[in-house]
Amino acid sequence: MEQEGDHRSCGQAATDAPSRIEQAFDLLPSAILVLGEDLGLVACNRAAQHLLGLDRSPAAGTDLQHALASSRHLHATDQHVLADAIRSLGAGDVSETRIEIGQRRVFQLTGGGSPGARIVSIITEAANPRPPSSSSELDDLTGLLNRNAFRECLSDAEIEMRMNGRPVALLFLDLDRFKQVNDTLGHPIGDILLTRVAERMSKALRSEDIIGRLGGDEFGVLTTNVAPESIQALSDRLIDLVSRPYLVGGHLISIGVSIGAALMPEDAESADQLATCADLALYRAKDEGRGVLKRYLPEMSEQAAARRILELDLRKAVLLGEFELSYQPQMAIDGNRVVGFEALLRWNHPKRGRVSPLEFISLAEETGQIVAIGEWVLRTAVREASTWPETVSIAVNLSPVQFRSSTLVSIVADVLAETGLAPHRLELEVTEGVLLADERHNIALLAELQALGVRIAIDDFGTGYASLAYLKRFSFNKIKIDQSFVREMIDNPDSDAIVEAIVSLGSRLGMTTIAEGVETVEELARIRAHGCVAVQGYLTGRPMNDLDVRQLLGLQPQPQAARA
Amino acid sequence: MTEQLYRLAYYSRNALPDDADMGVELQRILDASRKNNARANVTGALLFNRGCFGQILEGTCDDVERVFETVQNDPRHTSVVALQFEAVPERGFGPWAMAHVGAAAFDGAGYDAMSKAIDVNPASCAGTDLFDALRGVMLAHGPTRSKTWSGRRAE
Repeated sequence: MEQEGDHRSCGQAATDAPSRIEQAFDLLPSAILVLGEDLGLVACNRAAQHLLGLDRSPAAGTDLQHALASSRHLHATDQHVLADAIRSLGAGDVSETRIEIGQRRVFQLTGGGSPGARIVSIITEAANPRPPSSSSELDDLTGLLNRNAFRECLSDAEIEMRMNGRPVALLFLDLDRFKQVNDTLGHPIGDILLTRVAERMSKALRSEDIIGRLGGDEFGVLTTNVAPESIQALSDRLIDLVSRPYLVGGHLISIGVSIGAALMPEDAESADQLATCADLALYRAKDEGRGVLKRYLPEMSEQAAARRILELDLRKAVLLGEFELSYQPQMAIDGNRVVGFEALLRWNHPKRGRVSPLEFISLAEETGQIVAIGEWVLRTAVREASTWPETVSIAVNLSPVQFRSSTLVSIVADVLAETGLAPHRLELEVTEGVLLADERHNIALLAELQALGVRIAIDDFGTGYASLAYLKRFSFNKIKIDQSFVREMIDNPDSDAIVEAIVSLGSRLGMTTIAEGVETVEELARIRAHGCVAVQGYLTGRPMNDLDVRQLLGLQPQPQAARA
Repeated sequence: MTEQLYRLAYYSRNALPDDADMGVELQRILDASRKNNARANVTGALLFNRGCFGQILEGTCDDVERVFETVQNDPRHTSVVALQFEAVPERGFGPWAMAHVGAAAFDGAGYDAMSKAIDVNPASCAGTDLFDALRGVMLAHGPTRSKTWSGRRAE
């Protein structure tokens, strides 16, 4: 782990192999300094280097203050106090002394030896008991340590680890489904719930474990019980207790908790790194089903790095115009004519090649880049469609994230004004995700868009929650029947019945229906028999570039300049 | 003066160590809950076998909440599933701070069937059928009479 030479005690010529006595001195578990007559540092064993936070042994004769200045964890004031204490022991003024280092640590120094070779040994102990938390350190609601105080404990744990090599485990805990409780039952109930959670968590801990509320529904636990089975057992206890039902204000409430754990020094060298690792592990726990513990693994950092690179590439892609659109024809079933196209996003990265939307859309939604990308898609598709015959419409997908941007409606209005496209030729496709998140706000936005004359389609209908209540809450212009039903309708009578039901539901509600993913003549015939108005799928046309669209529509290719 | 009464029913899995003396542990649980419930003015019943607990708590909303939260922090059980919480006109287990029902009928398989049914629709917890079944077991068998049984009035 560490190179022998790096830790050779000072005063030894690098050329000579260290004598046994010198080796023994270096390996002594106690921290020992040897001072010369001038009170300069003559030797400093490995334990002392560790305790003082020195990376290597200072050269013989180094001034104390100077040597301590390179400490990784002693603050300047502590360096000063410590240097003074060591000097007065070296001078023989006192034989022992205690000094406080930081807020939580005491150094006990003892002097000895003879003039010319004074020895100072140091032992360290936690300032015991830990000073009681002041009200400024506590979270008002739960009485747990607040974020800053917890952070302080984390730094202490780092120092403790460096000085005494004591490992520590950090657990980040995030409640599952807490937001729904707050949203549906209100903050007062949510607040009581948080206090109950805090009480239950505290009961799962040992007295020496540290717990804090880091914000909203996030908690942190620091424990020195770092054996994997201990961490698992502690997490099991926490998950079990927190996941048990609550009775609050007459409401039975069920929530869960996800946990990410990381160890110092095993996973991380510093408090900051430790927090990052625990965060990555928590992210994974949330991602993989919630209600579980995930230990940090180095691959998580690698994946996070890969995501960061993808994110940067995505940012560049927006600026460098690496995106392009494909258009998939939508055909009217009667007469087999093209009634519109759905714009589909493609990303051609110079090195990655074609990146599947599955790989980057969710990331773009997480980072918010989808807002800029979505605007580009909208502007490009509408501009293109404005050169098509008036009977041909353009469908553009909107992400739920775009509904959080305040500019969505004005951008759509602006694009229509700029291109002169008749609003009814623009169809905006949304999935039920738009209705799941912030429903009232999003329905209001959909209504504003519809008021512009734009048509609104519900995409992938029949999958997910597929609540019929959506159809009541907003009068969509069109229902897109999810391709999974279409694909199964020949072999599976249930899927066939569902397609038939959706079509008749649509016609009763005054919404047109289009079937997605139609690939065979049989499917087309069945869909026609059910009364579906339009189809989109490989059978009637694969996604194509803008030039092929123009050819299909019998138009001249656009001059290059106009397409830029 | 008469505050609205509520009844809560839940199941949980026994988490006692395998080598624990069930008789002794059960008596401990009963003693503690009788004391706590009487103090909190809560009545109810406890079913217990090697695999699981089934419990009913009755009282005012606040009282039931308080007792339930204490019970929830008990490490001797796990996988707690609340079946029902609803307003009731009167106490169904009035005389007993915590009646104990020796529940041979309430076996592990029954627990699994019920908890599976709840998993299908956890949000509803509208386990009226399940509650009736639970109460049926209790009413049919009545509280277990043992020499240590102490049915204390809660009021």
